Amino acid sequence: MDKVGLAINGIYVEATSNQSLIDIARRQGIPIPGLCYHPEVKSSGGSCRLCLVEVIQNGSMRLVTACNYPVTEGIEVSTDTPLVQRIRSTVIELLLSRVPDAEIIRGIAEEYGIGDTRFRKDAEEYRDRCIACGLCVQVCEEIVGVSAISMLNRGPDKVPGTPYRESSSTCIGCGACAYVCPTGAISMIDDEAVRKIWNSEFTLRRCSICGRPYMPEAQIAWMVMTAGAESSLFDRCPDCR
Amino acid sequence: MDLISSIDDFMLYRDHLESLRGAIPSVYICFGTGCQANGASQVADTFKRVIEERGLEMQVDIGFKTTGCHGFCENGPLVSLKPGNTLYLRVKPGDVSEIVEKSIAGHELVERLLYRDIRTDEIIADYNEIPFYKYQKRIALRNIGEIDPTSIDDYILRDGYLALTKALRMSPSDVISEIEASGLRGRGGAGFPTGRKWRSCRAVESDVRYVICNGDEGDPGAFMDRSTMEGDPHAVIEGMIIGAYAVGAHQGYIYVRDEYPIAIHNIQMAIDSAMAKGFLGKNIMGNGFDFTIKIIRGGGAFVCGESSALMRSIAGRIGEPRSKYIRSVERGLYDKPTVLNNVETWANIPEIIKSGAEWYRQSGTEASSGTKVFSIVGKVINTGLIEVPMGITLRELIYTIGGGIPNGKKFKAVQTGGPSGGCIPESLLDLSVDFDGLTEVGSMMGSGGMIVMDEESCMVDVAKYFTAFLVEESCGRCTPCRDGLPRMLDILTDITDGRGEEGDIELLEELCDALRWGSLCGLGTSAANPVFSTIRYFRDEYEQHIRNKKCPAGICRKLIIYRIDENACTGCHECAKKCPYQCVSGEMKEPHVIDVHACVRCGICKDVCKFDAVAVE
Repeated sequence: MDKVGLAINGIYVEATSNQSLIDIARRQGIPIPGLCYHPEVKSSGGSCRLCLVEVIQNGSMRLVTACNYPVTEGIEVSTDTPLVQRIRSTVIELLLSRVPDAEIIRGIAEEYGIGDTRFRKDAEEYRDRCIACGLCVQVCEEIVGVSAISMLNRGPDKVPGTPYRESSSTCIGCGACAYVCPTGAISMIDDEAVRKIWNSEFTLRRCSICGRPYMPEAQIAWMVMTAGAESSLFDRCPDCR
Repeated sequence: MDLISSIDDFMLYRDHLESLRGAIPSVYICFGTGCQANGASQVADTFKRVIEERGLEMQVDIGFKTTGCHGFCENGPLVSLKPGNTLYLRVKPGDVSEIVEKSIAGHELVERLLYRDIRTDEIIADYNEIPFYKYQKRIALRNIGEIDPTSIDDYILRDGYLALTKALRMSPSDVISEIEASGLRGRGGAGFPTGRKWRSCRAVESDVRYVICNGDEGDPGAFMDRSTMEGDPHAVIEGMIIGAYAVGAHQGYIYVRDEYPIAIHNIQMAIDSAMAKGFLGKNIMGNGFDFTIKIIRGGGAFVCGESSALMRSIAGRIGEPRSKYIRSVERGLYDKPTVLNNVETWANIPEIIKSGAEWYRQSGTEASSGTKVFSIVGKVINTGLIEVPMGITLRELIYTIGGGIPNGKKFKAVQTGGPSGGCIPESLLDLSVDFDGLTEVGSMMGSGGMIVMDEESCMVDVAKYFTAFLVEESCGRCTPCRDGLPRMLDILTDITDGRGEEGDIELLEELCDALRWGSLCGLGTSAANPVFSTIRYFRDEYEQHIRNKKCPAGICRKLIIYRIDENACTGCHECAKKCPYQCVSGEMKEPHVIDVHACVRCGICKDVCKFDAVAVE
């Protein structure tokens, strides 16, 4: 990877061209908010628009998303200009109007001195916490490799889900989607030895040592198939191995 | 001769076609969608029957062709006669015998079917003298209406595939230089220089490259690409072959929305006949160059007209745009270097190669060379499809070619560039129509849709209409577009319903900014244009709605009251009979009264009143 030199808020920084601007900045102790980006998920980012920063390249300025903008030699990045603050505040207010109950968004709003949104909120009974960032779908495809869910509908109604919202035969109940969701919008309930997620129920294998139900049988079968591991390896939970 | 395996072969074949061409009188019937909807196929059937009967009797051959859209859709079905270029308008099956009798067997004109200028009352028979056509310059539309789109020979006789033979004798780099020199900019809307796009694509090291034709025309009221694909599919295909040769691509895709069945049919036929002739396939005209084209049918999502969403859709994924920090010419379809151009851009390519960059630059302006096709619709007399040199003024477009505003109404605004274009007011009617001029005033060229509005349009209502369209069509991937547009619509609905508050305009402006600066794709960044431009030029109308709860144009139902003028009312009772809510009352021959509390402001009373006695307050 090429070494590149760039300026962030006037400070010269060296990085490699495969690093994302948001990671480079955060490593420098410069905070940039962001919900839809995950450093381990290549296809993530570009959706929530919280990480917009000003970039000057070849003399022209534009706002770009720091999560997926490819860094090049000599760019000048500003993370906190009046324009960035203004647009970012509107984006935060829009997210607040969509998911007023999401704690993480309320936290970001507080940081930016935004008490409440001026835009209309959905009635309480229709609210959920999904910001349609798509990270769950990306993880399911890119990291887990099963593509059990995808984004359904479009526009304001866009949400992740299984085909026709029915119980999916490809879902392995691993819960990576729920784990990675920035706003905690995906419901995953472990009730004794049964996990409920995406309208499906999964039997959890109990650890033979501590007796704790810890992993869906379907996920074990998937790992046995794809990684070639012995099924018996999963008789013990990671803590007891 | 079937397969044409060399350029010499092609020239021989062309001469052979030329020798067969006789100067027989011919009837051309427009088979564009508009004319077909108005009964063109019944007219054609009648012509066929009458020609068969009369032709035998008259002992002459009569040529007969169905063509693509002539553009003058307002007046369809259109029938033109050659030689002579007589154009008959609104032809009905009942007119056919008379046309054959008088104008084909004889030398008379059927006057009642000719064009009559409503301002001068002058009757014009010659197609090219009618103001609607006279001021046009047809390059992209050069063959439409002149050929049978399903006949490759018709196309070849109009110099079709001649540019390809010329290009194949040039080096790919020289072909690109010619396009660069022509100054051609992308006709899909953004206006990126086509030659530069090709050059960058060729410069990227790769084993595979693609060319794509974007035929996903989704703007309401726009039909220029549809007409081109339907009426002259070979022009698009020839353009793509030349482009593929120039950038080094061997596979092309034409992405057409499935709502365009005639376009799909005609393009598929054209691809098949070009394959059979050897203009597509392996070793094209003995040059060693291979290229094939496949049609991809789009499912109708507006966002799939955005290039990166279109490429995802071709790859079988959900049509969603991606961040274009890395351009498609580097990493496009299947992550390979890809050139995507719109239908009209491709249709221009053969003419530029054939006649040269210098010739092309003679039309248009310095920064926007050539011509542009517009579909001009709304409150204008001659609605239809036109092609004019860039740099023409809006006034010439709307008044000279479009014939002005019907019913003596006053012009108010013209919306250019599709749903995410802007509304341009009367004060800017002398604006030069080119890429930069339109962008400067807060609108855009877009793909060339042009909607003319008269004084009876409420600009807040117009902004609300387009915003509602965009809410429906937003893909939902990024926050400003997905959540910003519905909030914008909330505020606009409040304003038009009389719930507007001080500060609403400023809040809308903030949302406009968030969309323009913060959205992921071009659809989002331009989605603020309808609201932004109407606030910019018609702010007083917004203020009237908010402060005085009045809609000056009398459109917003919650802000108007219908009243009957007792001096003008004759008591004919017509409005009372037609009112769906029975809220008009009055004795016969006595002035009537509307119960304003029961009235739903449907406006039917006003429409049916012959005495102009119903007023909007």
